[in-house]
Amino acid sequence: MGIWTLRGAAWLPAYALGFYILFQVAAIWGGSGFYSLWYPAAGLRFAVLWRRGARATGWIVLAELTVQLVTGVVAAAGADWPQEVWSIMRPGIGYGIAVGAVQYLANRTKGARFTTPPMPLGLASALAPFVAMVLSLPTVFLRPDFTRVDSPAEVVGSLAVFTVGDLLGVLMIAPPLLWLADTIEHGERPALTRPRFGAVIEGAAVLAIASALVWALDYIGLGRQMTPVLLAVAWIGLRFGRAAVWCAILATALVVLPRTAELAALGATLSLHMGLSAIAVVGYLAGSFADADAQARADLARRDRLLFQAERLKTLRAMSVAVIHEISQPLSTLAIEARHLAGISASSPGVPSELHDGALLIERKTAALATLVRRLRRFGGRAVDDPSPLQIAALIDTVATLVKPEARAASVKLVIVAGDPDLVVLAQEIELSQAVVNLVRNAVRATANREVEIVAERLNGAVRIRVSNALESASAPTDGMGVGLLVARTIIEAHGGHLRRVERPGSIAHILTLPLAEDLP
Amino acid sequence: MSQPGTVYVVDDDHDLAASVARLLRRHGHAAEPFLDPTPLLAIYEDAPADCVVADVMMGDLDGFGFADRLRAIDPATAIVFMTAWPTTANAVDSIRRYGGLDYLEKPIDEDRLVAAIAEGVAWSHRRRANIARTMSLTPREREVLNLLVRGHPNKVIAAELGLSPKTIEDHRAAIVAKTGANGLAQLIALTE
Repeated sequence: MGIWTLRGAAWLPAYALGFYILFQVAAIWGGSGFYSLWYPAAGLRFAVLWRRGARATGWIVLAELTVQLVTGVVAAAGADWPQEVWSIMRPGIGYGIAVGAVQYLANRTKGARFTTPPMPLGLASALAPFVAMVLSLPTVFLRPDFTRVDSPAEVVGSLAVFTVGDLLGVLMIAPPLLWLADTIEHGERPALTRPRFGAVIEGAAVLAIASALVWALDYIGLGRQMTPVLLAVAWIGLRFGRAAVWCAILATALVVLPRTAELAALGATLSLHMGLSAIAVVGYLAGSFADADAQARADLARRDRLLFQAERLKTLRAMSVAVIHEISQPLSTLAIEARHLAGISASSPGVPSELHDGALLIERKTAALATLVRRLRRFGGRAVDDPSPLQIAALIDTVATLVKPEARAASVKLVIVAGDPDLVVLAQEIELSQAVVNLVRNAVRATANREVEIVAERLNGAVRIRVSNALESASAPTDGMGVGLLVARTIIEAHGGHLRRVERPGSIAHILTLPLAEDLP
Repeated sequence: MSQPGTVYVVDDDHDLAASVARLLRRHGHAAEPFLDPTPLLAIYEDAPADCVVADVMMGDLDGFGFADRLRAIDPATAIVFMTAWPTTANAVDSIRRYGGLDYLEKPIDEDRLVAAIAEGVAWSHRRRANIARTMSLTPREREVLNLLVRGHPNKVIAAELGLSPKTIEDHRAAIVAKTGANGLAQLIALTE
């Protein structure tokens, strides 16, 4: 299904076509007074709505209506045409309501029970067919003649069949479609891991035992009891998640559906399909619950790692501040004495030039070291500062000073084109330095040719800083968790700028754009 | 060339204190290093300085505590703070609460230190001269002077102190005679 790769309204014809095909397939399980006991078109409808959100409801309804009118399933002629049109629109609207409500609640109550993905999806897929069924109640009671059934028993039967057919369609068709859409969206990255051998054996065994029980019960004349399979599928869902449970449901359906297509008695078919839909609902909810649980655990583990990292950074910062303090004390002495030595060696006659050169060199080096220490302290010591005009050249100079030791250790050369000294932005210096430092450090770690380029230039009333490096393969090697990049993006956006990542064959660049100070209100 | 003065350098890092003292001596000041502020306070009354350079973080008595006690002994000495742990709060306090002239970050910017000391010595000299000139004023004359420099006319001062304007006139003449300061601007300069 390529419909998710299509942009704009181009997905609509694709949906209409898919709906038409699945609608025809459903007729195999059709009967009098109802359309089908297995309605896969509902699965497609649900998947599209879930992906596109409830606001796509109008389009979905329009597509379905068009298909039904064009293929002559309903006629817009007769006296009852409003009823006909409503009966076509009803399911789409019902599904839209269910999807909209669940997504709204899941967003509103983030972190609450049952809102961890994929739990909302599981709930919505079990709920949608019921909402659609409830919407049909007014027609059933006000215009029973319109439902083409006579007795109240048949009305109830028809409603049950409708719900069961939709449930089976949604639970069997929507999950693989959504999985496929996720896979397409995330490129080649497989969204599904290869199942463990032990899990496959366990699941198959559980299902086989349950099936044997069903067969045995049937054999001794107690009828087709689906409960053992229900328990087996619940077991599989809780143990192995949605993917596994979907396979189990599919296997069950593949056994049940072909048989029921040939059954003549509605009661027997309905009973089997109700059993099957119960299996699908319970299994799918159990699988969703297991996946949500796994997701929550993964989130927790990630948060733990971040906390640990933050704790380490805090210690590191405290240590570095202490080290800076310890260094600045003797450095003050050194700087004063070195300057004095250089001064007297220059003014006293008879001092060997070598001695004078040495003294000058020591003076220069201690001065450079003193500047470095002051910058490091400014960077690590203060937490907040007010936005003030900041020269981009000075910013890049600071960044280069801070990253140089690490770059040198990795034998990476920083190639800097600082550009126009008039480029000034309004910025919190420490924060913005942090952002650029993070980008440059990432580049230093990822570069393939021991070079990182930092270029600043004016661009239509803005300044653009590009941090780029050569790349060996398409996928950049990353250590760390991308927190640095996240922090950089947050800081840059807080400064009214934006960060873009541009990847070309053999190179990658992070481009940050900031408004120039003169253009700010 | 700035005026030479007496400068004390207090830092618990002896090498740094000695180094700074030597630097200041090269700039013509009579500079002495001190490792601990307490012995300095003990001898200070007998040998006051024009300027004191003090580290903020020291052992028992920190730079600010030291400054408070120093001010109590000598309100006419300039104080310059230096620190390896600069914070905005400390920088503000050192100037506003402890009457510091400057707050220097280590590693020290030598030129700024020398400039601050020169400024401090000059300020201290002025201050001492002013104190000497107002020394001979009677308490009542001092009261009148304090109100004068706030820009009050004689009548208001008279009402404030419960004296007649004529008496105020006399006090004013005495102040001018004793200090040699004439006009409001010069009087204000006296009380700086």
